[in-house]
Amino acid sequence: MLGHYLILSGIIFSLGLIGVMTSRNVLKVLLSLELLLAASNLSFVSFSKFNGDYAGQLIVFFVILVAAAEVAIGLAIIVVMYRRLSTIQADELKEMKW
Amino acid sequence: MSPFFFYLFAAILIFASLAVILARNPLYNVLALVVAIFSLSCLFVLLEAFFVGMILLLVYAGAVLVFFLFVVMCLNLNTVVLSSQQQTRFRWLGSFVGLMFLFSFALAAKSFIRAHAMEPSSIRGTIEVIGKILFTDYLLPFELTSFLLLIAIFGIVSLAQGALSTGKDSENL
Repeated sequence: MLGHYLILSGIIFSLGLIGVMTSRNVLKVLLSLELLLAASNLSFVSFSKFNGDYAGQLIVFFVILVAAAEVAIGLAIIVVMYRRLSTIQADELKEMKW
Repeated sequence: MSPFFFYLFAAILIFASLAVILARNPLYNVLALVVAIFSLSCLFVLLEAFFVGMILLLVYAGAVLVFFLFVVMCLNLNTVVLSSQQQTRFRWLGSFVGLMFLFSFALAAKSFIRAHAMEPSSIRGTIEVIGKILFTDYLLPFELTSFLLLIAIFGIVSLAQGALSTGKDSENL
């Protein structure tokens, strides 16, 4: 049964990886990053259940907290980018300085 | 009983993740991610990690994704996205790398399962147990996350201030 959970987590992770690498929309890249985090959370919890150790569930708790901060900063950057460039395509970010 | 629910929620999770990647409208992407997080939380409950599952539902589906939805509606993306959201040059390369990752991951998981035959243990991640561990063994990381959130608030405020001070003369918003 652990193998089923691991394979599911791998499928979700690779879907998120494909999303990060193929989409130009910055918002979609951020959503695919959430998929990556969700896949790793799933494998942490399943290892916690099958190992009999609570540490995996605590890691997931911290990952959720960090992801909340990451999403807030990322969306703030997207809003600023939309105000400056009036687009959210990643290709338009050609300059390091603004 | 449990395998049936596992396959049900796994199928919902995979289809919702596909919709996150493939849907054109960003609103549908966010809503598909809500469905994916909901079925992930159901999987956590099947693994008897009740506290983490509920936190995932409350914090992710409740707060973070509503924030996403708010930003998508605030940006008024329909005119922007539909004009120039076509496939990238890296579409096939990205899909190839993702599938290769899945293949190597499956091989690693298979050899791991063969080496360690694991049976599900009897632990239950109730709020009492998790809270006790969180406030004894993991007290320092738990307190440090409050600093992380504080720094995130500082970052957002400074970003928003910079945008406001220059947004006035560029007439965009």
